[in-house]
Amino acid sequence: MSKIVEISPTTRHEGHSKLVLKVDDAGIVERGDWLSITPVRGVEKLAIGKTMDQVPKIASRVCGICPIAHTLAGIESMEGSIRCEIPKDAKLLRYILQAANRLHSIALHNILILPDFYLPGTDTKINPFSPQEPVRSVAKRIQRLREIGQTIGEIAGGEAVHPSNPRVGGMYKACTKQAVTKMYDLAKEGLVLAHEQMDFMVAVLNNMKKRDWVEVGGKQIPLPKTLGYHNQGYMAAHPMYGSSNLDECPGWDPNRWTDVRPWDWYMGEGEVSLADPSYPIGGTSPVGTKVNPQMEACTGVPLYDGAPVEVGPRARLVRFKNFDEKGTWGQHIARQLEYTDCLYTIINALDEYNPNGKVLADHIPQGDGSLGWAANEAPRGTDVHLAKVKDGRVLYYEMLVPTTWNFPTCSRALTGAPWQVAEMVVRGYDPCVSCATHMIVIDEEKRVIAQKLIQ
Amino acid sequence: MLYPEIVIAGCGNFLFADDGFGPAVVEELRQLDLPDNVKAVDAGLGAPHFIFTLLDPAVTRKLIVVDTVDFGGEPGEIRSIPPEDLPPGCYRDAHSWDLTEPLLRLKDAMEIIVIGCQPRRVSAPELEIGLSDEVSAAIPRAVKEILAHIGVDYGTTLENLRKEEHQREAGGKTCGRGWCGEEG
Repeated sequence: MSKIVEISPTTRHEGHSKLVLKVDDAGIVERGDWLSITPVRGVEKLAIGKTMDQVPKIASRVCGICPIAHTLAGIESMEGSIRCEIPKDAKLLRYILQAANRLHSIALHNILILPDFYLPGTDTKINPFSPQEPVRSVAKRIQRLREIGQTIGEIAGGEAVHPSNPRVGGMYKACTKQAVTKMYDLAKEGLVLAHEQMDFMVAVLNNMKKRDWVEVGGKQIPLPKTLGYHNQGYMAAHPMYGSSNLDECPGWDPNRWTDVRPWDWYMGEGEVSLADPSYPIGGTSPVGTKVNPQMEACTGVPLYDGAPVEVGPRARLVRFKNFDEKGTWGQHIARQLEYTDCLYTIINALDEYNPNGKVLADHIPQGDGSLGWAANEAPRGTDVHLAKVKDGRVLYYEMLVPTTWNFPTCSRALTGAPWQVAEMVVRGYDPCVSCATHMIVIDEEKRVIAQKLIQ
Repeated sequence: MLYPEIVIAGCGNFLFADDGFGPAVVEELRQLDLPDNVKAVDAGLGAPHFIFTLLDPAVTRKLIVVDTVDFGGEPGEIRSIPPEDLPPGCYRDAHSWDLTEPLLRLKDAMEIIVIGCQPRRVSAPELEIGLSDEVSAAIPRAVKEILAHIGVDYGTTLENLRKEEHQREAGGKTCGRGWCGEEG
């Protein structure tokens, strides 16, 4: 008889999500549901009536880790609606910002997943904080790659976290010749490191493919060769940047997108009947916990051509570069292959960029209410924003964020895996489940300690 | 250098009413002429993964975090909280492992000051733009506090006028605007 296990919350990714897994007697997942438990905030409703310049700024705040993707997709959906073509040099700066952001993101994800993996040829798991070699140099390299990504992003985008330079119609400021030289130097340094890092990660992943078991919570868990396999399709709008309705050959089609509600998709009410207190970070939910994914899931289920699709690095490589590796390891390898792409994109864009060129369109139309969309290839996958702008005000706005596309696909990819490794499948998607708020709540005992500063 | 000697990180989300306090303080600070070794960053929700885990303790000596903190005070009240008293999870790097707190990891390597403002209303999960009057009024006080921490004095504060008088009496120079370099 099948049992239900719940892992809540899942860890080492952004935001709050959980896994509800129906498993057989051997602990193999028969049906898995991975769902967001972050309340939906309805940014779409808030956007209505705001100016087209305000809305991308609002959109960039819904997530702590993807502000660049949301800023660019938001701005370009506005430009798509008002039919505004931006100057080439502005586009190049956006390319640089995009690639720099992805570089940082891949490096960050390396740190997150490494504790799941083994040093090739050993049974020692990798602790990225270890002061010992070879891990120490790897960690230092990862940090340097992150710094390079963030610094280039800051120069091109104006700020390192929430980019202030992109705007509807282009960019606020061009980059000077000196800034271009600095970015170029950083990119060249990064390229060497990215090659080394990619080689290291691919070696670690290839080693993992050969392993029969993995240690989770002190137990040896068998590792299926088909970990993370699914039969869903792939969606990607562009190999690096993105696409919008202004493109000659758009990479995404709004007519192929439909949405279903979570209760049409996820499992219904149930009760946890299998628990493991030794599972890492606090154990799984205790027996008797009520679960109801249908009602708890906080996101709708977007479908492309009527089916869930995978988005992200593998989807980009499958669509544009004939990549054919399936499963979780294939997904990780695809992500590492994007390392050097990011730096070549930056270097090529800098070669083409003219520091004296125009970065703002001469005329910015105010819009007639027609639909515009932009599908930005965020690190985690296609981030689609749709907008209608009339007289400079937003009439309609919708965001289809990458992990929302991946939730149902990844849920299917869990089938056939021992439940203990389900989180490894989830981490393959580098999920970003938007965090809600950032307020700190100090508990009662600590109140006294908080030093009173000013009345 | 991505992050200099002194980093001020304004954390929070302006989409949730008073949660936007941190970024609002940073916006105010940016209008001032800050010394070259100080960087004020609108960290939004991204401080743990974009800032805290990217700081180099060999370069950054002081980190000032500005955030909304519910310590049970009056709305708009400002307090400084020692990093070790922060409840678990508040700056958990979303991209962290073993639930390590990135601030606790840093606290022995650099000076960390958390300046918290008691909110009136944090609307999450509902979106609401705009700070309450009490929290809005706390911005200049927070700015003043931060300037004192980084040793910047614009010569307009009451304390400074007092100091000036005191120095005149002692026959010393008046203390104008300048960078005092608190570290040394």
